[in-house]
Amino acid sequence: MDILNADIPIPRPEPMVPAALRVERLSKRYRLDSGEMLDAVSAISFEVNAGECFGLLGPNGAGKSTTINCVTGFYPASSGSVTICGLDVYAEPKRARQLLGVCAQDDTLDSDFRVFDQLVRYATYFRISTEEGRLRAHALLERFGLKEKANEQVESLSGGMKRRLQVARALISHPRLLVLDEPTTGLDPGVRRVLWEILMHERSAGTAILLCTHYMEEAERLCDRVGIIDSGRILDIDSPRALIHRHMGEDQVQEEVRPGVVWKRPPNLEDVYLKLTGTRLDLEAGES
Amino acid sequence: MRLPDSLWGVRCVWLRYFDVFRKSLRYYLVTTFSEPILYLLAFGFGVGALVGTLKVDGMEVSYRSFVVAGIVGQTVLFQGFFEASFGSFVRMYYQKVFSSMAVTPITLSEVLWGELLWDATKASAAAEVVTLIGVALGDFPPLALLSVLPLAFLSSLLFAGLGLTVSARSKSIDEISYPQYLIVFPMFLFCGVFYPIESLPAALQWVAWALPLTSVLSLVRTLTLGFPFQPWAVPIFVAWLFLLTVFGRRSMFARLVK
Repeated sequence: MDILNADIPIPRPEPMVPAALRVERLSKRYRLDSGEMLDAVSAISFEVNAGECFGLLGPNGAGKSTTINCVTGFYPASSGSVTICGLDVYAEPKRARQLLGVCAQDDTLDSDFRVFDQLVRYATYFRISTEEGRLRAHALLERFGLKEKANEQVESLSGGMKRRLQVARALISHPRLLVLDEPTTGLDPGVRRVLWEILMHERSAGTAILLCTHYMEEAERLCDRVGIIDSGRILDIDSPRALIHRHMGEDQVQEEVRPGVVWKRPPNLEDVYLKLTGTRLDLEAGES
Repeated sequence: MRLPDSLWGVRCVWLRYFDVFRKSLRYYLVTTFSEPILYLLAFGFGVGALVGTLKVDGMEVSYRSFVVAGIVGQTVLFQGFFEASFGSFVRMYYQKVFSSMAVTPITLSEVLWGELLWDATKASAAAEVVTLIGVALGDFPPLALLSVLPLAFLSSLLFAGLGLTVSARSKSIDEISYPQYLIVFPMFLFCGVFYPIESLPAALQWVAWALPLTSVLSLVRTLTLGFPFQPWAVPIFVAWLFLLTVFGRRSMFARLVK
């Protein structure tokens, strides 16, 4: 019997699904205005899979925004690689960015366009037809509670509405990877929670999310895994619970809430950050 | 038809600007076309009535015709420079249009080409309106409408390159005023918009020829008034065009990308 032609099922390996985002030994070094060289990001590696929210937690200046600028291909990496769904962002920027939605830290809404028109215009940058762009814009404005503002100028929106619109714009292309740089900074707690709900819904729909934040509560609530970043280096990566367990154990933490008044509470990511770096994250995070 | 990726990206950017222009048409028509028309009325008709005719390079020409051709050059200078300097600074620094587009499938290089081409389109359209007035007044032959167009476009690109360089190198929008007063206005005053540069002292004539507007005006007057062709105008023009478009893009790249 010819064994090669025998009717025996041949086990085949599962097709490898590339991670939505893979960052490998990424470094970014650049010259400051003062002339000094800064190692903004040093050999960081992490992955974000479909349906996962990965948080980069660190204070301002830790290297989060530089990482995002490298992930989007806007800054060239000094070394290392970034792939989005297997596509190298530097070798194939157009194809890679077709899968990417970005919400920058700054307000980057195009103030020359009204709310609705701006979404439709942005959709064209992804080769989405105007007709399809209109359909998607209607759906997003409805979902983000901005339908009534469709014909308003961007400048007339409140800070929270602008932020929601910016996240909506990032979703117009139905991205596989959504990158959010401090999406809730400066927002009041109510608006922040509305955005969190939207992001949790996106994650459950299969979108991979890279979330850069200095809000400990945001990282704990939204992120499946968190990378703690300081001075351009990732110090540890794991789920919030595992990080807390590994670095703080189960013991209660004593905190002096005001002079002479000490209370005990469960440890959180803020404590992990303090233990790993010796510095505290922005205290504003704990106020939300 | 599906355009090649890079052309598609540049077209997307150009269409974004055109859409903004279309939506505020009245504002842009007034701000783009009123200035050259006012210069034309004041100098072409006002000063023109006093001066009568000029003799330049052995040719006799009415002062109005001379100035209309000069205003074609002045229009590409002002419209190209101001749109690419103040306009692009607002888009780059305040509106963050460049960085928000450059994280989509459109690359930053395409964004900057789109910016330059739009600035050149807008400025050359304004120059064409001045040329049309020149034709309507009988100062230029009708063919000038066609012959001036490519020159106006390339000249606008040149001055847009200067504007983009200035925008990229200015820390604040106020700093754009330095090159405006130290480069653009001197060009406007000394490169022959309102008088033949032969009237200037010899040393100043050399300075004027080193500046790009003089070669632009020389070529415009050859095409519109039939002035003798001055061959050195072409290499000077091409060198400035190449230098400023390359430098403008590189400067803005260096400003935005670390």
